[in-house]
Amino acid sequence: MNTQNAFGSNSNSTSPISVTGATHNAEATLRLIAALPSPEGLENRVIAGVRSAPRSGRVLGWPALLSPSGGWLRTAAAAAIVFVIVGGGWGVYSRVQPSSAIVAPPVADAAAGFSNAGAVRVPQTLPAPLVVQPAPVQVTQPQAAEPANMARGKVVPGKHHETKHVAGNKTSVQASGPNTK
Amino acid sequence: MSTSQAIFAGWMEIANTTVDDLARAQAEEATLEALVSQYASALYRVAYSVLRNAADAEDAVQETFLRVLRHRDTLDEVRDQRVWLIRIVWNIVLDRKRRAKTRPETDDLDELARVLPSAGLSAEQFAAAAQHHAHVLSCVDKLPTKERQVLTLSAFEELSSVEIASVLGITESSVRSRLFRARNLMAEMLDHARSQR
Repeated sequence: MNTQNAFGSNSNSTSPISVTGATHNAEATLRLIAALPSPEGLENRVIAGVRSAPRSGRVLGWPALLSPSGGWLRTAAAAAIVFVIVGGGWGVYSRVQPSSAIVAPPVADAAAGFSNAGAVRVPQTLPAPLVVQPAPVQVTQPQAAEPANMARGKVVPGKHHETKHVAGNKTSVQASGPNTK
Repeated sequence: MSTSQAIFAGWMEIANTTVDDLARAQAEEATLEALVSQYASALYRVAYSVLRNAADAEDAVQETFLRVLRHRDTLDEVRDQRVWLIRIVWNIVLDRKRRAKTRPETDDLDELARVLPSAGLSAEQFAAAAQHHAHVLSCVDKLPTKERQVLTLSAFEELSSVEIASVLGITESSVRSRLFRARNLMAEMLDHARSQR
């Protein structure tokens, strides 16, 4: 092969970029190397090497009926996986059934360990409305001073006449207007 | 349909039937021989462009077909056997190149002087050409890995940019952009070297 011919004939039609002279020379070198002929007898040597290579791929051959290349084996494997998963799920479901009533755990035997001695915890109830019994109000009406105040016509503001109503166990105090003394 | 593809089709037919192992082995051997006779030369040139050593390149080709023999059961899934084989040999030579120690530049010069065509050239011209090629190859070696790979594969006329992208496992636009960068870098390096002289 001529070097000049190799330079001239190798124009990469797939390259979209125009190259300068320097890079064209550089690529010509690469093309020259890429176009070097292979040594004589390469194919024969390669074939001989391949023939003499140990074929470790098929030490154990599958019978034709059980060949893993068949589609049925893959299907059977998938079915087996599905069967195992579904069977396991059903086994768990059949053992653990959901129950409506909450079953209290059995009282442990006293000999086996601590026990609660039959004590049952009673939850604390909510406190009822607290009623405070007021102290009995003693209404004292001075009999003697009343006529004197009325006589004077003096009205004391801020003083109310208190009337006590008792209903059941509740006591309310109601204002009934200004009290005159 | 090529010879290997025709035999390959026959191989598939054989594999699906229940013939004895002897016939299958013979069919496999015939297929592999067809692949070797058809693609060994191209694979050698790809290997040599990276390794730049004839013995190493031949070993790489041998290893490529041994790998094909190892994965012969998956051959029916291969669409483009040529690109597939080039990809295999490409990975092998990159692996070998990574493991091998850096060879001195004089080795490249000697190897080039041995393999370069010398017809029509005087001894001085031949020596100058060999030196020039060795200098260019040393500049190629200084390129970043990605750009160097694309530039090396672009030198093969039988590989389109789509096939280069398939060999390298990248997109075609990446091939073009890397090739553009590689050419620019090569131009810078060669101009720099020329200005220093």
